Formats: sequence, C-alpha cells, structure tokens
Amino acid sequence: MKKIFALLLCLLMAVAVLGCSPKAADEVPATDVAATEAETAEAPAEEPAAPAVYEGDNWSSAYYTEDMKGTTLNLYGVTDNVRPILDAFEADTGIRVEHLTMKNGEILQRLANESESGVAIADLWFTGGADTFIDAAQNGLLIPYKSPSGDVLDDKMKDPEGYWHGTSLTLVNWVVNKELIEERGLTMPTTWDDLLQEGLKGEVSMSNPASSGTAYNVVSAILETKGQEEGWKYLDQLIGQVPYFTARGSDPANNVVAGEAIVGINASNGDRELEINNPHIALVYPADGTGWWPQPVAIVKGTQHEDAAKVFIDWVLSKRGMKVVADERYAAVARTDIESPEGIVDISTLNMFVTDFQANAKNREGILEEWAKHVENK
Amino acid sequence: MGKTRRKQIIKLPFIVNKSTFVSTFLYYIFTLIVIYGTLLPVIAVVLYGIGGKGSDDTAAYLLRGAHYLYNSLLLAVPVTLTATFFAVLLSFTLWRFKFKGIGFFRVMALSPLLNPPFVGSLSFIMLFGKRGLITHDLLHLSVSPFGYWGVFIMQIISLTTLGYLFISSGVQNMQTIYEEAARTCGMSERKILTTVTLPLLKPEILGGMLLIFLASMADFGTPLIIGGPFQTLSSDLYIQITGTYDMRGASISGALLLVPCLMAFILQKKILKKRAYWGRDLQKYDLLYPHPSKRVQHTLIAICAIFFGMLILKYGFIIIGAFTNNWGHDYSFTLRHFVKLNEREWLPFVNSVKLSVGVGLGSALLGVLCADIIYKRKAAVSKWLEIVGTLPAAVPGILFGIGYLVTFKYPLFGISKFYWLSGPRIILLGTSIIIYIICIFRYMNVGLRSGMSVLAHLDPNIEQAAHTLGASKVRTFFTISLPLLKPAFQIAYMKIFASTMTTLGAIIFLLLPKNKVAVQQIFQIITSSEIGLGAAMSLSLSALMGVLMLAFYLLMHGKGILMALWRKNNEYNL
Repeated sequence: MKKIFALLLCLLMAVAVLGCSPKAADEVPATDVAATEAETAEAPAEEPAAPAVYEGDNWSSAYYTEDMKGTTLNLYGVTDNVRPILDAFEADTGIRVEHLTMKNGEILQRLANESESGVAIADLWFTGGADTFIDAAQNGLLIPYKSPSGDVLDDKMKDPEGYWHGTSLTLVNWVVNKELIEERGLTMPTTWDDLLQEGLKGEVSMSNPASSGTAYNVVSAILETKGQEEGWKYLDQLIGQVPYFTARGSDPANNVVAGEAIVGINASNGDRELEINNPHIALVYPADGTGWWPQPVAIVKGTQHEDAAKVFIDWVLSKRGMKVVADERYAAVARTDIESPEGIVDISTLNMFVTDFQANAKNREGILEEWAKHVENK
Repeated sequence: MGKTRRKQIIKLPFIVNKSTFVSTFLYYIFTLIVIYGTLLPVIAVVLYGIGGKGSDDTAAYLLRGAHYLYNSLLLAVPVTLTATFFAVLLSFTLWRFKFKGIGFFRVMALSPLLNPPFVGSLSFIMLFGKRGLITHDLLHLSVSPFGYWGVFIMQIISLTTLGYLFISSGVQNMQTIYEEAARTCGMSERKILTTVTLPLLKPEILGGMLLIFLASMADFGTPLIIGGPFQTLSSDLYIQITGTYDMRGASISGALLLVPCLMAFILQKKILKKRAYWGRDLQKYDLLYPHPSKRVQHTLIAICAIFFGMLILKYGFIIIGAFTNNWGHDYSFTLRHFVKLNEREWLPFVNSVKLSVGVGLGSALLGVLCADIIYKRKAAVSKWLEIVGTLPAAVPGILFGIGYLVTFKYPLFGISKFYWLSGPRIILLGTSIIIYIICIFRYMNVGLRSGMSVLAHLDPNIEQAAHTLGASKVRTFFTISLPLLKPAFQIAYMKIFASTMTTLGAIIFLLLPKNKVAVQQIFQIITSSEIGLGAAMSLSLSALMGVLMLAFYLLMHGKGILMALWRKNNEYNL
C-alpha cells in the first residue's frame, strides 16, 4: 500500500515539476523580445551616433571598449591552427576566444541544433568551406555584419549582405610523392590531364564529393570550366584512376604522405608545414587552373556578445589581423594590401577557376546524383 | 548453491520489516533517473530518425543503412569469434599454466587499459602498407592495407585483449574442484575441458563475446582510418553527420545499428538464464593443470608469444613514431613532436582528467548503488532496472551521443519536447555538465556488474543483524553495505576512469570549446597529416593514464587519506 502511495507521490512530483514549466514558458518570449529590443536599440547607434572608433595598431573597431577585457568568446572552426591567431587577438584586445575544432558538417549540424533549442554556445565561426557558410546564412543561423575593415575585400570574397567575409584562401592542390614519381619514372603532373597518365592508375587519391567539400569543389569547378559534356568525360577518366573515394577531404594527403598513393587531390590552406616536415612531398598547383574558396568568418545568431564578436570580425579583417592569419596559417589571404610571408604561393601567379559559390550550393544535389551514376558505371 | 542462497534472502529479511516510506520513495526516484539517463535518449534517437519531418525518404535511408549494416556484421561476427577464441586461449595460457616470463605477459595483457587511441591503425599502415617497413622494405610486396583485412586485424588485436580482461577474471576464480572430481573419475583431459571447464566459464565467455561484438559494431575510428572503401555502419554514421550534414539519416542508421546490438545483448541474457550456474565462493583453488602435456603447453605459449609480439610491435612502433622525425620515412631521432605538443594548449589534458575522475566517481557510485538496490529489492521493477542500467553498454557510443543531443536540446531536460515546445531555459545541451552525465550513465553498467558480483559473495546476515539491532535502512546502507561494496567501487572506478580517458564517440557531438578533451584533439590531429604529433599526443595520454592509475591504486591501498581526497576531488569536479 505504502509502495503504491510512494509511486503516486513520485508521479505527482514529476507532474508538479512539469506543471511549473508553462508558467516559466511565458518568460521565454519575454527574453526573446528583450533580445530583439536590444538588437534594434543597437542598430541606430551603429550609424548616426557612432561611438568613437577604437584605433589599434593597424586595426580599428567601432565596437571595442576597454571593458570588454576579460570577456570570453566561443568559436567553432575546422582547424586547430587558429589558436595562435586567437592568442594574437587576445593580446591586442584582452578578449579571450576559446575554440573547438570540428568538421564542416558537424559545425553546421551543431549550429542548427543549438539554434533550435535556443542555446548559443558559439559566438563566432571562423574557417571552413564557403558552401557551409552560405547554407548557414540561408537557414538563418548567422548575423549579418558589414565590417568597415572588409570594405577593401573583393566582392567574391564576401557575402553581399555581410553574413560572412573571407579571410584566408583555400586552394585545391595536389600533394605529390616525389620519391614515388621518380621511382616509377613518371612525369611530375602539372595539368589536370597529367593525372590521367597510365602510371598513375590506382595511384590517385581523391575524396568522395558527397562527404567532402574539397572533392565537391573540384568536381563542380571542372564542370564549370570544361562545360558539362567535356567535364563529365574528363571526370569519367579521373574516376578510372582512383582506386576508391575516401570519406574525408583530409584523407588523400595522408595517403600520399604514407606512400599509399602518389597524387592526392587536396584542399590547402598553405600547407607549408607538410612540405617542410616531409621532404618526399611536393605541393603542386595545377597550371591549367584550380579550384578555390575563401575561409570565411561569421557571427553566430544568438550570441550574447554580439559587440565583442563584431570586434573580432573587424580585427581579423584588418591589416593587422590578416597579417597574423597569413603568418600563422602560411596561407594566401583575402586582403591584397598586406605582405605575404615567404613561401606562400602567390595567388596572382595561379590560374584560378571561376567559382560561383551560390550556384555550387544550389546545384549540389543534382551534381552528386550524376556523380554517383558515373562512379557506378566505372 | 549461490542461486538458492539468493532466494533465501529474498524471502527473509526486508519485506517482512516495515519498509520505510522514504526509502521506497527514493527507490522510485532513483529508478526514474536511471531510465531517464539511459532509456530515453535511445528511444529519442529512434523516434527522431523515423518520425522526423519528411519521413517519406525513410525507405531510401534504410536501404543505404542496410548495406552498411551488412558490412558491420561481416566484420563484427568473424571478429567476435576469432577474438573470443584468442581471448580464451590467452586466459588459459596465462593463468592455468606456469612458465618463464608469464609475469611479463600478464602485464602486457593489461595494455588495452592504456591503449593510445587511434594511432594503432597508423602504425599498422607504416608496417604493412604499400610502403610499409615490413611489407615493402622487408618483403618487397606492394599490398594495400586499406580495406576489410586492415580493419579486421586491427580489431582482432585490440579486442582480444579486451575480451581477455573479462574472461581471465572468470578463469582466475574457477572452482577447479569440479575438474578434480572429473579427473578422479577417470575422464580424459579433453573431455574435462569440453564438459566441465568450458561450461563453467560459459558466463564469462559469453560476456566477453558480447563485449567484443558490441565494441566491434561501435568502432568508427578504425574503419575511418584504415577502412578505405570498406566502411561500417558506425563510421558511416560519423560520415553522414560530418560530411553530408545529415542528422536524420544518421539517426536512422543508428536505429539500424541498435538492432543487432540489442539482439546480441538479449540473446546473451537468455542463454545465461536457461541454466543455473554454480555460484562462486571466495575460496581460491589451485588453478594450474596438474600434469600439463608439454606439446599443448608449448603450442599455447607459442600462440601467445605471436600475439604479444604483434602487440609489442604495435605499441613499440607508436613509440618510434612519436620520437622519429618522419614516421614511415625518416627514422632519425627527434623530440620535435613533443616540443610542438608542449606549444599547444594543455587544457584538453586537464579537461580529460577532470572528466574521467568525475565520471569515475559518479558512475561507479551510481552503478554500485544500483546493484545494491536491485539485489535487495526484489520488486518487478528491479529486474527492469538492471536491464535499463546495462542498456547503454549495448548502444554504440556515437549513437548514444546523438540520443543525448536530440533529447537534451529541448528545454527542461528534454521533457518539453513531449509536452511544451517552449519551456524555461534549463537546457542541458551546451552546458559542460552534459558530457559528465552521458558518461556517468554510459558506464554505470561497469559499477553495476562489479557490484552484483561482490554482493553475490556477501553474507546477508550482517545487514540483517544491523537491521535487527534497529538501524534504519538508510543507515544500514551507509554503515554496512557501502563499506562492503568498496572493492566493487574501486574496481569499477579504475575501469571507468580508463574508459572515459579514451572515449570519444559518445561525447564528440556534445563537447564545448572550453571543455574539449585530449582524445578529440588527437582525432583531429591524425586527420591533418601530422601523424608524428598524433603519436606523441596519444603516447602522452597513455602515459598520463598510467601514472594516474598507479597513483589511484596506491591511494586505494594506502588507507584512509583516500576517502577525504576523493571527496575533495568530487566537489571540485562536479
């Protein structure tokens, strides 16, 4: 009897706990309203009564105030190499940025989940493929901010509405195992057609465009430059050279370093270290053109530190920030008015494929379906 | 023996006594919490996959999943059989025979506790790959290690030792008197083995098998790193989320993955239930075979030596990888990987230790407590409590993680998903506590099992005595049961600590920038071509685990300072 009573009481308590929530539920819209109010309150302040612009060493921001020191921002990104950049930002501003490294898709998935549940973990998103940023912007996961520092950027390097700005550039290149090329008496590949040489059969490593942004970018860029018909003809031959398509964009480079393949189609953010640390590896930029995309930075919707996040955008797009990015990532950057460190490929000497990122994002499903058919017919 | 004794307890003491209202109440609360942490997320992920929006393409997803499920089974079934076979062999050789160097082998066999994550597969590539040290430089072969066999061999090596840990504990506690009896009756050794010894070990062997099967099904790292074209359901699940941004597809694959895992889990329970097994008493018997045949012994030792040779090769090569300039190419000595490691943040290591200590304490306590409750309270719910408590062991980590994600992304601990769409902002997702909670529930089965096995040996009269003398149930628990359960707690703590240090699947989608753990960093580094650094980091993690576990061991066996320290740690972490 007592047991039943206890069970009942238990249930009652559970219901009581649940019962509390509708009352509390009313509070949520309230906070939402507060948030939007805060936003609208900020908006006018942005233009007319602009506060004194903080001028740092080679960077400036209208949002920076001394009391931001000690603030902590959270950042999602695709590489641990952002750490030194974030440390430089902290040295300049006193704002600490914690980062978490994930894959592109994971970030997108997380942002969607977090926005659905109304928790904002990340304030910023820095590095990744432009296609995921476009996707996120379309799904309302980002806050637009046209940073004055970004004015000098080429239109291709930024979103017209300010949802994201490009920072460094990712270039598609080939990671080549020089040792094996010599050993097998092959010619060092310089053009896309060189990948089709007989000796490279089964020795070209490429990731699966369905699960890797790198490969998708390559496929769409080839289709764009060569046209649909010629493009697919070429891709059919390329498919014949690849033993299997790896799951992740980073796999081909690993395969080549380990000697499992001779040429790997890779997305590079500079990768100087790869060459320095592995004497048997060469990075080759295809002479007849290559795919590329900017590595954007954006503010995540729902952030509690919007102003501090804007300071970060201002900083990273400034001369000072871009210099740090170029130095720390050994990467070509979106700004053209800074000195690149030695050893970085000069993008002005490269033949870059024309890339329409918006169209890329839109045609994705169709191209992938076609791709699957061609792989099956191999 | 054990079984009948257990039945007596049920009838005798507590139910006759006035069961205090408070303890009954706590009991139901406890049950609810356990169900909440273990069962709900699993149900949620299945519902999310199947019932989500746009469910008309469910069939296509299922078809895709079925292909990978086939791969998973194609791998897991042979791996389970082979690894279990080796594990039994190892257990017998190392505990029932005596030979020189046995101590070394026994220590080596504990190595999976300190297994440096992920890099094992890399050392396999370096040794047996197209340009591998052994295949290419020594044997002049050019074979690709990527694919089915690579994954198969890697899993055999790591899972055999996992199975060994489980099965050998059964071998060590064997009641060899039954064998002795058979021997006296003139049975042949072979007959004794098949009709007495192995049946006696059935629970451990089946348990080990289940463990290996589940681990193989859940392993996503090995296929990702050396699977090449061969991917399993678990690794595809990871790819679906990270590559194709498809959470719903992943949930459906996950639901598929759950089917064989749960079936294996239920099957094992069913088989064990059909027959009563001899209870174990605490007496130790002489385990050695009295007149071992030299030929058998030598064969067994040879097989063990080959196995441990591979193990040493694997670990030795990881050490080489961490200390040489360019793993796979330039084997000149360098410390540059460690220098680089030192330049990175140490925070992930600190976080790993915090998490593992916190989870170890919380989870071991919860598990042992659960065992105690199940053992004493023979209500119908208790049986379910046991099943629900062990359920997470059958759920692949990555899927359990998604379960937490889809459950706790809604406010009010996920309840509002089913009742109100907007609730107070008590959302677990995005808090640092969620990774503690998920690990605690995921590993509570370890504490539960070790608690159950200790309780089976306890004399129920002690507690009854306390009760007769007028101690309340709660008091009896704290003053009698808990101290008696201490060994179970300690064993569970060590196991859970080690597992949490190297766990990734369950927490990979729940980590925050500020509480990222070391193993996640290693996983990232390995995918970015910096394998030397990855090896160095893995090795450091293993070393850290080794040192800490040694420290814990000393603490546990070094009297009372321990509890105070634990409490302090506990406050600090939780």
